[in-house]
Amino acid sequence: MTHLTPIDYLLMLVYFAVVLTVGWMLRRSTKTSTDFFLSGRSIPSWVAGLAFISANLGAQEVIGMGASGAKYGIATSHFYWIGAIPAMVFVGLFMMPFYYGSRARSVPEYLKLRYDEKTRTLNAVSFAVMTIMSSGISMYAMGKLFNLLLGWSFDVSMLVAAVIVLAYIFLGGLTSAIYNEVIQFFLIVFGFAPLVFLGLRAAGGWSGLQVRLAEISVQRGFQPGALTHAWRYMGDPSQNPIGVEWFGLAMGLGFVLSFGYWCTDFLVVQRAMASESMAAARRTPLIAALPKVLFPFLVILPGMIALAVDWHAPGVGSHAVSAAGQGIIPPKIDGLTGGPLIDQAGHVVLDYDLSVPMMLIRFFPAGMLGLGLTALLASFMSGMAGNVTAFNTVWTYDIYQSHIKKGASDEHYLWMGRAATVFGIALSIAAAYVAASFNNIMDLLQLVFAFVNAPLFATFALGMFWKRTTGHGAFIGLISGTLAAAIHHGISLAGGSVPGVKGGYFGAHIIYRSELGQTFWTAIAAWVTCFVVTILVSLATRPRAEQELVGLVYSLTPKPVAHDEHWYQKPSVLAVIVLTATLALNIIFF
Amino acid sequence: MSGAARFDIRIPIGVLFLALGVILTIYGVATHSDVTLYGRSEHIVINLWWGLVMLVFGGAMLYFGTRAHRRPLHSAAGEDTETREHRLGLERE
Repeated sequence: MTHLTPIDYLLMLVYFAVVLTVGWMLRRSTKTSTDFFLSGRSIPSWVAGLAFISANLGAQEVIGMGASGAKYGIATSHFYWIGAIPAMVFVGLFMMPFYYGSRARSVPEYLKLRYDEKTRTLNAVSFAVMTIMSSGISMYAMGKLFNLLLGWSFDVSMLVAAVIVLAYIFLGGLTSAIYNEVIQFFLIVFGFAPLVFLGLRAAGGWSGLQVRLAEISVQRGFQPGALTHAWRYMGDPSQNPIGVEWFGLAMGLGFVLSFGYWCTDFLVVQRAMASESMAAARRTPLIAALPKVLFPFLVILPGMIALAVDWHAPGVGSHAVSAAGQGIIPPKIDGLTGGPLIDQAGHVVLDYDLSVPMMLIRFFPAGMLGLGLTALLASFMSGMAGNVTAFNTVWTYDIYQSHIKKGASDEHYLWMGRAATVFGIALSIAAAYVAASFNNIMDLLQLVFAFVNAPLFATFALGMFWKRTTGHGAFIGLISGTLAAAIHHGISLAGGSVPGVKGGYFGAHIIYRSELGQTFWTAIAAWVTCFVVTILVSLATRPRAEQELVGLVYSLTPKPVAHDEHWYQKPSVLAVIVLTATLALNIIFF
Repeated sequence: MSGAARFDIRIPIGVLFLALGVILTIYGVATHSDVTLYGRSEHIVINLWWGLVMLVFGGAMLYFGTRAHRRPLHSAAGEDTETREHRLGLERE
């Protein structure tokens, strides 16, 4: 356990003070429900853009991408370079005109305008439950991490974070969440950039890191370059640590999962919807994509460095060098024996989630350590805030206003939004305690959500680009897609897993090399089923009149014309810059 | 009407990074000869150097934030949005 010094606490307190002041100062400009839920549609595009990536830059991203970096190496950057980036470019260029142009106030509301009430309600309810759960899981992870690292009480650290988030959203609504997300973006950059710098220095630069990771790669039974090349070993699932071949990766992760998340998830799309104009809304995901291209160096590299360095440094005496771990990553502890956990092949299982926290402790002296931990805390909190603001909007507009109380005054819905913030956070805390006591229930729920989410992009893409798609088609397509995901998951299993939550409950007919391979193919099955069923049912049902679909479907909507944009503000120019940079990085790390 | 009297985001960012930068810089100056403390950071007095970087960043944000604050707060596009929303009945006031 590490002990913080007063200077570390002082830095944290300064951050909390600024966050709460921002909420307090924004309360006066939060008068209508549009202010509260959509920031009065007045956010400049660079602010919305940074909030767009920060809302997603929660703990799962910072801790999880570092963990994956240690597990899969530089190939983890596929989550960015073929995953997030192309999807973000697509949503900015092609989908934002319909989200923003339709004046829908939420993603489910777009479904209501384009299709019908039942499709919207299905999406709204599953989204609302899901945001609460992920916010709860994130709080649980935070409480656990800070308890382990610093010995803070699980209950107190969770409650303090929850109360701060509650206070600033309650006061300033979405604007407050967005402002704090932008602050958190800079904190993560300033907290992690020196970590990567110091880590790379200790590891002997990129070439030193390559040498060290080559040894580890061979130990794990791969070619020496498997951890430092993104594409070279993607031909065969047994040759790369991800355990998937290029097609499953490109289709499952690059197309279905990433487009499903970045193009349809209200948590991120809400930030673009809050922009001040159509042009700003289209620029939002593109501006977000610019730093996102470089994020692998900030969040994945620390995990890779954690494998390659050790605890030997003057002044780092408190951590016993654990023979069972690797680099500075400790082993997972077996609950029964108290010793390191050993897998079926006889290898020690590493606690990859500790890669990034261990890096902070290894390289940062008092002072910088406070800054790094503040950045980590900020990412947990703004991840939670992102979920809560998306939840209160969907709850108020798509569930409360459309099913419980129609036609009330704006003050009433503003009041309901604030109330939803309070019970949304209360429910998240409850979910965190459920996660703490029944680990498997949470795994199961996350699995169900994966099933619900995988087919979504088919529904949106068909809705926006094929005017013939009908509400019945969309609804039945979504349900079939979810069922297809559940069935595929039930007949497949990742090598080494036991049937149950991991799949195979209908018998293990298909065996994948890794759980990620199974996840990607489950998503592909769901998407294809939803796509085909939606088309078939649409053809069999009556389409809506064309004039009702103006502004909602590509072929019936006038193309957005930009008048007073500089060349560097044009979405197409930004898209080309982002895609060229991404391509270059894929080639450099091929 | 909405969005009235909202302040520029660069101001709180500037204030935060200035404060963090000042604290780290002072702490870095006070501890710069502590070999044990900076052994882990490759013998670089990272608190001092990074504190200075944050100070400069915070100062720049604050400068541009306060300078831009004198611009009119309502852009034409924002007002257009409001009017259209009202016409479509999406906002009840």
